[in-house]
Amino acid sequence: MQLQLVGCSHHNSTLDLRERLAFNPTQAAVALDRWRERFPAAEAVLLSTCNRIEVYAAWDVGAAGPSHRQVAEFLAGFHGVELPDIFDRLFEQSGEAAVRHLFTVAASLDSLVVGEPQILAQVKQAYQLAQERHSAGPLTHEMFQAALRCARRVARETSLYEKRVSIPSVAIGEFASQIFDRFDDKRVLVIGAGEMGQETLRFLQDAGAREVTVVNRGGARAAELAERFGGRAAPWEELDSLLVAADLVVSTTGSAEPIVTRERFARIEPQRYQRPLLILDLAVPRDFEAAVGDCLGVYLYSLDNLEAAAQRNRRERDRQLPAAEAIVAEETARFMEQMHHRATGPVIQRLRERWETLGDEELRRLFGKLPDLDESSRDAIRQAFDRYAKKMLHPPLEQIRDESRAGHPHGLIEALKRLFHLND
Amino acid sequence: MPGISTICFAASYTVALLLELARLRLSGRALRWLAMGFVGVGLIAQTLFLGHRAAVAPTAPLSSAYDWYLVAAWLLAAVDLYLTAFHPQVPHGIFVLPLVLALIGAAQLADHKPFPRSPAAQVWGSIHGTFWLLGAVAVMVGFVAGLMYLVQAYRLKQKLPAGSGLRLPSLEWLQRVNGRAIVVSVLMTGIGILSGLVLNLVNHHRDQQDELPWSDPVVWRSGGMFAWLLAAALFGAVYKPARLGRKVAYLTVASFVFLVIFLAVQLLDTGEHGSKGRGEQGAAKPQATREAEQ
Repeated sequence: MQLQLVGCSHHNSTLDLRERLAFNPTQAAVALDRWRERFPAAEAVLLSTCNRIEVYAAWDVGAAGPSHRQVAEFLAGFHGVELPDIFDRLFEQSGEAAVRHLFTVAASLDSLVVGEPQILAQVKQAYQLAQERHSAGPLTHEMFQAALRCARRVARETSLYEKRVSIPSVAIGEFASQIFDRFDDKRVLVIGAGEMGQETLRFLQDAGAREVTVVNRGGARAAELAERFGGRAAPWEELDSLLVAADLVVSTTGSAEPIVTRERFARIEPQRYQRPLLILDLAVPRDFEAAVGDCLGVYLYSLDNLEAAAQRNRRERDRQLPAAEAIVAEETARFMEQMHHRATGPVIQRLRERWETLGDEELRRLFGKLPDLDESSRDAIRQAFDRYAKKMLHPPLEQIRDESRAGHPHGLIEALKRLFHLND
Repeated sequence: MPGISTICFAASYTVALLLELARLRLSGRALRWLAMGFVGVGLIAQTLFLGHRAAVAPTAPLSSAYDWYLVAAWLLAAVDLYLTAFHPQVPHGIFVLPLVLALIGAAQLADHKPFPRSPAAQVWGSIHGTFWLLGAVAVMVGFVAGLMYLVQAYRLKQKLPAGSGLRLPSLEWLQRVNGRAIVVSVLMTGIGILSGLVLNLVNHHRDQQDELPWSDPVVWRSGGMFAWLLAAALFGAVYKPARLGRKVAYLTVASFVFLVIFLAVQLLDTGEHGSKGRGEQGAAKPQATREAEQ
């Protein structure tokens, strides 16, 4: 089996390059169809995210697989870019290194934000698309199934995925989810149209939030943001009534002074009946006076609070990394051992058949010379032959299995073929 | 039961509690599984113990105050096992198991003698005892949820990190459990009160010795307990802030305090329903004797 990986990621390429080589789902499907036409003997899975574009290819030994250059040409040709522009910025790995890379990616250890959970779903989707387009085969099936198992094992045996490190994910995953059980029935109010607010809104929508209201001094930006997230824009003058109704507030204005003082909040407080209110004040300087957080039922978090939590989580993740990497190394070694062992299967099968054939011939000759033997004696002799064959074959087969752990046992296999004339 | 005493399952629950406390500091599934294992073993032992008592009881099974406390403990331990199995992130045991142990301890102070029942009154007596039991367990569950709510609300207000050992449910979930616990406890104790009234009427009409005078303190205490729970439920229904936020938690914690007082007085009571007010056979004093004393 030959395994190959060609691609680029946030580690070794610019955003510009990744944007030029990225595939949306439709393009990925077309690319895989073209791959099958160009490299019919090679299986392929295409992984394209905002941080990486990687082509995983696999083919049997002796089959015609693509070279690094050919894969680069394929990518360049599909996107209409010049090969020299991208060739040196693509990395290539093969064999065990390619497997280890895939397992590392699937376990989110190679991500821009280590431990972010989206990559596993993206790897799964890439593999499912390859199956649908029939560019995946038994070799990539084994590899990607093993990658998903490895990622699940990292999730199960470490707390890597539990610790969020980006501000929006900490805000929603750690604080909001400790206050609210569900988000689909919550009213979300976004004050301002800042970048951080949008990112937080994305996480909220992933968590199920449906009812989003955006309010901004500039109505146009509010309308644009609302439309992008399927919400509604409201005029700035309605802020008080919106604060009364809201369950969760994300505030990111660029105001130099707080827009909601304790005094202002005190006027609307009675109308809330102490209903829990989560305020994520992501603005610098703050939009909400700190004293607002002292009100009953109000949970106010500033950027400092969220950053402190993110830092704690980063430290905890770093502590979990060695364990996660050990799992990846273990799973890679196990996968490679299985692949090597499987590659020896046909030769071992021929050896066993050859042995059995010779044994059967000798038994027929023996029984022909001893026609008076009863059935039980014949059975006893057959069983003795079987035991003898198994005992003779056991040492070489065990040795092949042991050698498979360290790599493909080419030398042993070739020796067996020559010694026992096991030619194809 | 030969070979099993209350110490057996109490010890199991104690070990489980210590393991749950250890989870606050140490992470890993082994501790959780061990804690579940000890609760499970305790439950099995307690089930066998209660089963044996039910089998050998001369009158209705599990019909003494002693049994009542042990069954309440059993129910709570089962709730803890369920929560630990299906909500593993939360160390419920540190809230629930102390209540279980307290109930087992209270059982040791309670009367072991069964409430004598004529066949006619057995059904109503069983209903009365069972629904009071369920009502008390609902109050305890509400108390645990209320306590968790207050701890979680404090943590979030102080912006304390979640920590690997203590992940409490969300405030919304705890608020919902609180609210439901109040409603369930009202329903259960209400049925318990009504069935107690019917039981007393049955005894009155059949001229039974077990009839409880309406002036007995336990009648008033039970009524008071039910009135408090009903008031808490109505308060939440009518006054919106009472079913939101910390107020719900305060209501369930207060209900638990009422329950503890009720049970404590019951254990020390010299009235005819109380543990210490029974005669040689554990029977309520006959009507003739009560009249003679008057």
